[in-house]
Amino acid sequence: MNDQRRSGERDPLRAETDRTNRQWLVAGRHGSRWTGFSVRGSFGRRPILWIVACVLALAVGGWLLLRTGGPAVDETWLEMQERGSWRVGMDPSFPPFETLDAEGAPIGYDVDLAREIAATWGLEAEIVAIGYDSLLDALLVDRVDAVISAFPYNARMTKDVHYSPPYFEAGVRLVVGADAAFEEIGDLDGGTVAVEWGSRGDAIARRLQREGAGFTRLPFESSEKAIEALVSGASSALLIDGVTLRLAQGEGKGIRAVGAVLDEDPYVIAVSIKAPKLQSALLQALATLEEEGRLGLLEERWFGQYARRE
Amino acid sequence: MIGRFASFLRRNPDSINRIPRLALWSPRARKLIGALLLCSVVGLTYRSYFRNWVPFGPQRTVATVNLKMGVHTRLTDEPDAAKIKRSLEMVREMGAPWIVEYFPWAYYEPRRGQYEWSHPDLVIDHASRQGLTVIARLGYVPEWARPEDSHHLYLAEEDYEAFGRYAVEFVRRYRDRVGYLIIWNEPNLSLEWGFRPVDPASYVRMLKVVYPMVKEAAPEVQVLAGALAPTLDPPGSEWSVNDLDYLQQMYDAGAADYFDILAIHAYGLGFDADEPAGETVVNFRRSELLREIMVRNGDGDKTAMITEGGWNDHPRWTRAVRPAQRIVNSVRAYEIARTEWPWLESVCLWVFRFPWDQKSYQDYFTFVGTDFEPKAIYLEMQEYAAGRFKAP
Repeated sequence: MNDQRRSGERDPLRAETDRTNRQWLVAGRHGSRWTGFSVRGSFGRRPILWIVACVLALAVGGWLLLRTGGPAVDETWLEMQERGSWRVGMDPSFPPFETLDAEGAPIGYDVDLAREIAATWGLEAEIVAIGYDSLLDALLVDRVDAVISAFPYNARMTKDVHYSPPYFEAGVRLVVGADAAFEEIGDLDGGTVAVEWGSRGDAIARRLQREGAGFTRLPFESSEKAIEALVSGASSALLIDGVTLRLAQGEGKGIRAVGAVLDEDPYVIAVSIKAPKLQSALLQALATLEEEGRLGLLEERWFGQYARRE
Repeated sequence: MIGRFASFLRRNPDSINRIPRLALWSPRARKLIGALLLCSVVGLTYRSYFRNWVPFGPQRTVATVNLKMGVHTRLTDEPDAAKIKRSLEMVREMGAPWIVEYFPWAYYEPRRGQYEWSHPDLVIDHASRQGLTVIARLGYVPEWARPEDSHHLYLAEEDYEAFGRYAVEFVRRYRDRVGYLIIWNEPNLSLEWGFRPVDPASYVRMLKVVYPMVKEAAPEVQVLAGALAPTLDPPGSEWSVNDLDYLQQMYDAGAADYFDILAIHAYGLGFDADEPAGETVVNFRRSELLREIMVRNGDGDKTAMITEGGWNDHPRWTRAVRPAQRIVNSVRAYEIARTEWPWLESVCLWVFRFPWDQKSYQDYFTFVGTDFEPKAIYLEMQEYAAGRFKAP
């Protein structure tokens, strides 16, 4: 009776809400035993229940995160420490990145890079010679701990392989004389662009022409002749890959790349996706080598110094 | 959404009575709703059925100065109809009237007697509309036709007939559009023979089973055999048998009556197209040695087709050439076929395009990129087919 009177005294909207709540609870009891359980009420009465639930949720969430984040222990890294060496796969057939000396020992930019990185971890680099097309397979079956072999990034493999940041960009660049005023393709209207006939640079030059670029394409049978055309002034610019460009610069050619890379082809270091400690250590080692200028020194050792401007 | 509606009904229990009953709707409204539902069903069915369909376009023909020009396409793993069409359009625009395409048995008869032809339908119909002549390469054993855990190129002799039935079903369906079948690929390599010791006599037994079955179903279809990998492995090698020896052993096993045309693989590797043939060298003119074996075995009336071949311009593959050499050699290969080899019907160079980058030397065999950007070699072959080719 008292309840009825009290409710009659309250405003109609709140009374309607109360009625709805009651209907819901009644319906819940008839429908499902779980909906009849008042969660808010239970937690309100027992704060300790909240704490237990939160701890449980955190524990389950943490476990799930750790579970999906990879194995807690990096077996590759542990084995490297036990062995005292970092096994690096490479195909020693691509100088100056990797080749064999007269005694058959591996030498080159990638070999020295592997040794420098291993040294930052207090390890030795153990070079394992493997055919280029089998390098990733060797990594996937743990025959090597990493691949450093002028190896291109492959987005399709990122489910199985972790790639380091690029340490060399081999993509096609627009190249001009060291003192030329050209800075981009648009500056070459009416000029000429030398290419190695049939190369990727040639395909890009043809594409740029189809897109309206106003230069004349000058094809040469080799990249050396195309570079010579630029150096001699027979051509205003040149489209070549990063490796050929760097080699020419190392030979003292006064040429420079301008604008963005036209066809990216970054060389990266591949390690197993199941080696998180090795991945982070590699990232740190590369950053250290970069900061200390040792990457640049390595490049100069194998490609030569840039030509000094008069 | 449903929860919110249920909540609304709980809060407004009378509202359900305000929803008009179907019986009260006018006949005109009911017809309209019926028509809308019908349109939806038809539309969804159409979209589902034709979701991977593009118009074929008008019937086209290939314009070329060399009717023997061809390429090996690789549409097996290209599911997108628009990309299949674009690939074949570009082959036609390059000026090549021939294509070789792979139709894996395991893909199209995944369960014994159950055929799935939607993908080959796309490829063959689009190729026909572009005016291209298709040479179909058959192989790749389904799981049901080989022992458990065996390699997908392992086919026991007792299952040759099952392979023959697939070939028969294939020609029955496509005989009006596909006139050439290649039976198996590179059987002189162990890896192409299910990682078993290479066995020319067993391959000939395969031909003896499959050839009559195909001929009975479609006598006009030409059966190609061989497609041997050029190799110089010494006798007794576990990996392969020299292609010249293998072909002779095929004839010794009685192959002559069980194929119509010899399929040849003619890779130039690091040699020019005009490098003379020799038994100890793998180059483009090695095809002439295979031809000599045909003639020597009384098969000189038959023709041959190069169903794979060409040059690679990878910057670091040891068997590659410079891009300029690849162009010159490819043009020269087509010219040799046209002017010097009357016994050769077509030259299909490996490979027009891959659906995705292989990130290996294989990418440097292609004529166009995965994004269909034409490589310089594609544009130069186009110039050659138009009679305008001129090396700089």
